[in-house]
Amino acid sequence: MTHQHINKVTSSRENILAAAQANKPAETPLPTVPDFGGDASVERFTQVLAGIGGRAVWVQRPQPLEPVLAQLFPEARRIASPLLAGAVDINAQTPTALLAEIDLAVLEGEIGVAENGAIWLPEANMLHRALPTVTQHLVLVLDHRCIVATMHQAYARLPGTGGYGAFVAGPSKTADIEQSLVIGAHGARSLVVLLY
Amino acid sequence: MTHALRASTFVADAERTSWHDETLWFVRQKRDKAVYAVPEFQELRELASQIKEHTLSRLDEYLMQFEAKAQRNGVQVHWAANAQEHNDIVLDIIRRHGATRVVKSKSMLTEECHLNPHLTGHGIEVIDTDLGERIIQLREEAPSHLVLPAIHLKKEDVSDTFHLHLGTEKGNHDPQQLTEAARQHLRAKFLAAEVAISGVNFAVAETGGVVICTNEGNADLGVNLARVHIACMGLEKLVPRLTDLGVFTRLLARSATGQPVTTYTSHYTKPAAGKELHLVIVDNGRTQQLGRPDFRASLKCIRCGACMNTCPVYRRSGGHSYDFTVPGPIGAILSPNIDLKKHSSLPFASTLCGSCTDVCPVKIDIHTQLYKWRQVLAEAGEIPAAKKWSLQFMGRLLASPTAFGIGGRVARTGLRLLPYRLTHSKTFNAWAVARELPEPPKQSFREWYRETGKV
Ligand code: SF4
Repeated sequence: MTHQHINKVTSSRENILAAAQANKPAETPLPTVPDFGGDASVERFTQVLAGIGGRAVWVQRPQPLEPVLAQLFPEARRIASPLLAGAVDINAQTPTALLAEIDLAVLEGEIGVAENGAIWLPEANMLHRALPTVTQHLVLVLDHRCIVATMHQAYARLPGTGGYGAFVAGPSKTADIEQSLVIGAHGARSLVVLLY
Repeated sequence: MTHALRASTFVADAERTSWHDETLWFVRQKRDKAVYAVPEFQELRELASQIKEHTLSRLDEYLMQFEAKAQRNGVQVHWAANAQEHNDIVLDIIRRHGATRVVKSKSMLTEECHLNPHLTGHGIEVIDTDLGERIIQLREEAPSHLVLPAIHLKKEDVSDTFHLHLGTEKGNHDPQQLTEAARQHLRAKFLAAEVAISGVNFAVAETGGVVICTNEGNADLGVNLARVHIACMGLEKLVPRLTDLGVFTRLLARSATGQPVTTYTSHYTKPAAGKELHLVIVDNGRTQQLGRPDFRASLKCIRCGACMNTCPVYRRSGGHSYDFTVPGPIGAILSPNIDLKKHSSLPFASTLCGSCTDVCPVKIDIHTQLYKWRQVLAEAGEIPAAKKWSLQFMGRLLASPTAFGIGGRVARTGLRLLPYRLTHSKTFNAWAVARELPEPPKQSFREWYRETGKV
């Protein structure tokens, strides 16, 4: 970057902030957002999840997940998961070529949201930031006691967003061709939630 | 060229116009279903409006707080006064990494700044990865809707485009198979990309993080595989607190497509180890709009598209007729701020029915602003002479009962006697181009009342 360029950009910052200060309206109050309550039942969560193309399956923990997964994904060869012994070893440094071959990722979700079927998945549970979208299929394991009613309650429970984290609601989808819903756009083609 | 003229090419295909109209109305109905299922929805709209208004009222402070937090998180923050600066900054980052392969997820801002031609002109391959955006990129078209960029196209069009560019089977119109072909084609691009550019849905001042919402997962896939992430945001994307997202994530997808939430609501706060995260904060006319008391509320917009789905004019004229990055009612109130002359016909592309205002999740008084822009345009002499004179004439006529009585009598006789060519002249009466005038009645209501009153 040239010296001139840096000066220009620095002055843009000052100009923008000065214009924002000069042109802003008189201060208005910031409202407090109430909780609103709502239905936090597992039934509601699974019903909404089905509506957005996901599927819930009950499992017993701490019993091993392998038999259920073998039944649900008999074709999956390359599985990435911190929860399974013998899974493909994935970490933040794993090269793209290896990530691209993952058939199935089995990760732990932290909070479920009943009103929209979303599950909070923090970076710490992802192995690699790209894993939840690069994998062909995604399984999220969720403690049914961690289901809340709304997004307000989910955000209130988040200790923070860490470096990266996502609410994942169902499989990747698109309706960009004539509004026809197609599941499996660029991210995971399917989403199964293993509830315990 | 005016909105009406551009729309005339769209409406020339009557069947397609009806299809477009019905498809978007269907999206509006899905929105209604999702909205009615949330008992506190109206309260949420009010909260969203107040949060955005408050943020604008302290915009400079929140921008500085956001910048400081982001920098502490290891994010590199850049400021761009206009589109040119934005494009220069992005190109500069890409060049510093010696990169030539770039993927980009949906961002109306980069569209507004015409980033793609700038990068392509400098030898950078930039691939739009949202399916709808990829389709129109291959066709070299502009998006015609905020969240449904290819809504003006039929599956046959997409099929032809993919046959030409991706080698799909000719005549295969199956959306499932076309999407699969795009998935394969774009996967190769994702895996090879060195830099990923994204838009921003929300920026949180207290955390310094940004939130990106997609259904396809294209933003996350691109960003998390590339070494460098450049997130471009208009400065109005700010909200003060993380918990404010509870309000906005409940409103956005329900208003946009009737989904309870987008598939991915992703929070980017720090760069991944060994990688870079850049934020480009763009003004490009926004602080100027902030200084216009009648129009500053347009900066509350969260780009959900609900106002266009419901708009009877947008639905029947198509997004391209607006010739502005953001079409529909919100585009018609944003565009005059950018170029009053060029976009002078857009505030008139409305029936002022107010449906846009009714559905807007952040309660922007869209139709009032459309009306106010019309006044600004009239003051500035930017309305056609025929409209200006006839409105002044009507204004005087309606203000005087005597003149109104005489005028009515003249019109009732005149319309019967004057030749059709004159009453439907395109020069004098553009209104009648696609409309028939009613049969003039024999007498006015006042005449009738006087007569029957005597009985
Ligand atoms: S103006 Fe309101 S309804 Fe229109 S896109 Fe913006 S937020 Fe949505």
